[in-house]
Amino acid sequence: MGAATVRSVIPRLSLPRIRVSLPILILLAVAAAGCRDRAAKEERPRAVLTVSAAASLREAMTELEASFEAANAGVDVRTNFGASGALRQQIEQGAPVDVFVSAAEAPMDALQKAGLIDPRTRRVAAGNELVLVVPAAGASPVRAFADLARPEVRRIALGAPASVPAGDYAEQVLRALGIAEAVRARIVYAQNVRQVLGYVESGNVDAGVVYRTDAAVSRRVRVAAAAPPGTHRPITYPVAVVARTAEPELARAYAAHLLGPAGREVLRRRGFRVE
Amino acid sequence: MIDWGPVLLSLRVGLTALAFVFVTGTLAARAMTRRDFPGKDVVDGLLVLPLVLPPVVTGFLLLLLLGRNGPVGGFLEGSLGIRLLFTLHAAVIAAAVVAFPLMYQSAKAAFQGVDARLEDAARTLGAGEARVFVTVTLPLAWPGLVAGTVLSFARSLGEFGATVMVAGNIPGQTTTVPLAIFFAADAGDMRAAGTYALVISGLCMVLVVALNAWTRRRKPNWQRRARASRAADDRHSSVTRC
Amino acid sequence: MLSVRARKRLPDFTLEVDFEVRDEILVLFGPSGAGKSMTLRMIAGLERPDAGEIRLSGRVLYARDPKAWVPPRGRRCGLVFQDLALFPHLDVTANVLFGAPSRDGQARGRLAEMLERFRIGHLARRFPAELSGGEAQRVALARALMADPDVLLLDEPFSSLDAETRRAVGDEVVAAHRTWRIPFVFVTHDREEAERLGDRMLFLRGGRQVAPPG
Repeated sequence: MGAATVRSVIPRLSLPRIRVSLPILILLAVAAAGCRDRAAKEERPRAVLTVSAAASLREAMTELEASFEAANAGVDVRTNFGASGALRQQIEQGAPVDVFVSAAEAPMDALQKAGLIDPRTRRVAAGNELVLVVPAAGASPVRAFADLARPEVRRIALGAPASVPAGDYAEQVLRALGIAEAVRARIVYAQNVRQVLGYVESGNVDAGVVYRTDAAVSRRVRVAAAAPPGTHRPITYPVAVVARTAEPELARAYAAHLLGPAGREVLRRRGFRVE
Repeated sequence: MIDWGPVLLSLRVGLTALAFVFVTGTLAARAMTRRDFPGKDVVDGLLVLPLVLPPVVTGFLLLLLLGRNGPVGGFLEGSLGIRLLFTLHAAVIAAAVVAFPLMYQSAKAAFQGVDARLEDAARTLGAGEARVFVTVTLPLAWPGLVAGTVLSFARSLGEFGATVMVAGNIPGQTTTVPLAIFFAADAGDMRAAGTYALVISGLCMVLVVALNAWTRRRKPNWQRRARASRAADDRHSSVTRC
Repeated sequence: MLSVRARKRLPDFTLEVDFEVRDEILVLFGPSGAGKSMTLRMIAGLERPDAGEIRLSGRVLYARDPKAWVPPRGRRCGLVFQDLALFPHLDVTANVLFGAPSRDGQARGRLAEMLERFRIGHLARRFPAELSGGEAQRVALARALMADPDVLLLDEPFSSLDAETRRAVGDEVVAAHRTWRIPFVFVTHDREEAERLGDRMLFLRGGRQVAPPG
């Protein structure tokens, strides 16, 4: 098929320029489609691994994704970050996830109860610390969690407790300190810890509660205080292989990578607590 | 059963926004239909912009404007100590901004539908612009204005994207029904999410159906009576008519 | 007395008029698009000339040098439109009373007289949509005159009426003029009507006053 054939098919176009350029454009499009096909063939991976991880693990998991892919040629790891509650729901709704790393026990418990994860693969990957952050710029009167009850503190950002574990832990601290009801009206609930961080960075809230590892990521907030010991249940990050995974071998290998020396080193460097 | 808080809050935000939007939309439409000036098309485009932008983009722009470091927010906080973000006021602003174009467009169409000659006649009879507007333009444009009111109210009830960006999720203060649905779904509480969705859908449905019924059945007095008396006149002889 | 000197550039031609009207019926006659309606609108203040001067009863309504402009509401020019422009949402009484200088008892008396004079008293509570062509015409006349104008402008007011009604209402206009001795400016493109109703005729073609066609 050549330009001549195409030209004979569209004899009546009045503008001579169209008659020449249209067949050329069609040929280019076909050629380009052919090129794309070839490139795709070269790049198609041996396997795709989907990992759902809590938002607070973003930097650490991204590093681990790269190191795992480097060590396993042909494997494409796709990490999906979000609030643990939302990720749990996605798995419940049948999303094709292979490995789940949660920021609290509760979502993992729920999935285990529903038989959606392989209980033999469940381990604790890391721990974390809960801190109070304030905008780095400007002087803040907040020096401790108890200061949240002071009148100058007008807005506090927390993760929504029902879906964000960090928010649930924060609520535990407030209740333990006896100020939960006093500050209730000042709280704005965010969808995940990164959003809490964003609110504090912008200065539109006076303080927020996030993990120490999150605070380390941002230069525009500073840590004002750590949660007093005993005010909340221990923060642990359980990891497990999803029962319905299409790649059980690879999933287990990835979990081992996270729990092994390479993973622990990355997590420790990023500020997580590892045994 | 469910917490009616978000529903009441949605109504409060919606009605407050409606009050602003009705006045500003009507006045803006009036101004734009009456005179020509350079750059008129650009101004019109800006006024209609929130209608075509994704709500979350509108929210983002409002965030830049009203945030602590923004031109408006910075001034308000610096000089008056007022913080707009994450308050009921921000929710009202978000709702009003997205609902405004609906009122504005409806009012514009309504005013353009009023015969200019009637307004001219009123002027020659000694009426000032205010009287012309109140006694001639407004009554004749009324059905269009009512439609605009209902549409913009329904729109502000359902507003989410801009609201979540500038008002956030604060139960009792900014958590309107759309936000309640979103966060309930996020937390896995499908029952609550579904109930709220039903309530707001039902409310909007009632509004739109009522508007349609009212528009259809309501023929202005003068049209209804015209029909009736024409029928009566047909029974008279033509001699009595001039 | 009404004195009109005005020039206005229009898309197809430049309109230039210069005439005076005492208390008589002046007919502006000419083909469609000659600028007759525009002239009336300029007198009423609904359009602004480019240059000239318009005076009514000694007051300057418009002038270029020195700048003078009286808005329509202050001009006391009654205007009967081609399509009448009765307010559809108001009944006949409200329409007629719209431009009345006052609403007191005296005004009510005047209203009753006006309705009787134009034989529309029985229509007082009707709405414009319920009126026949001739009835509506008389209401429009009554409304304009109720406002106590210094001049009455009529812009082809009969074009939508049948021949018989036209004659009847035309006679009404002449009769009205005998009662209200103010200038009447009457626009039409009907030769016969122009000659029957007018005390004087002005011919307009392409925006210019021309000699009467043979």
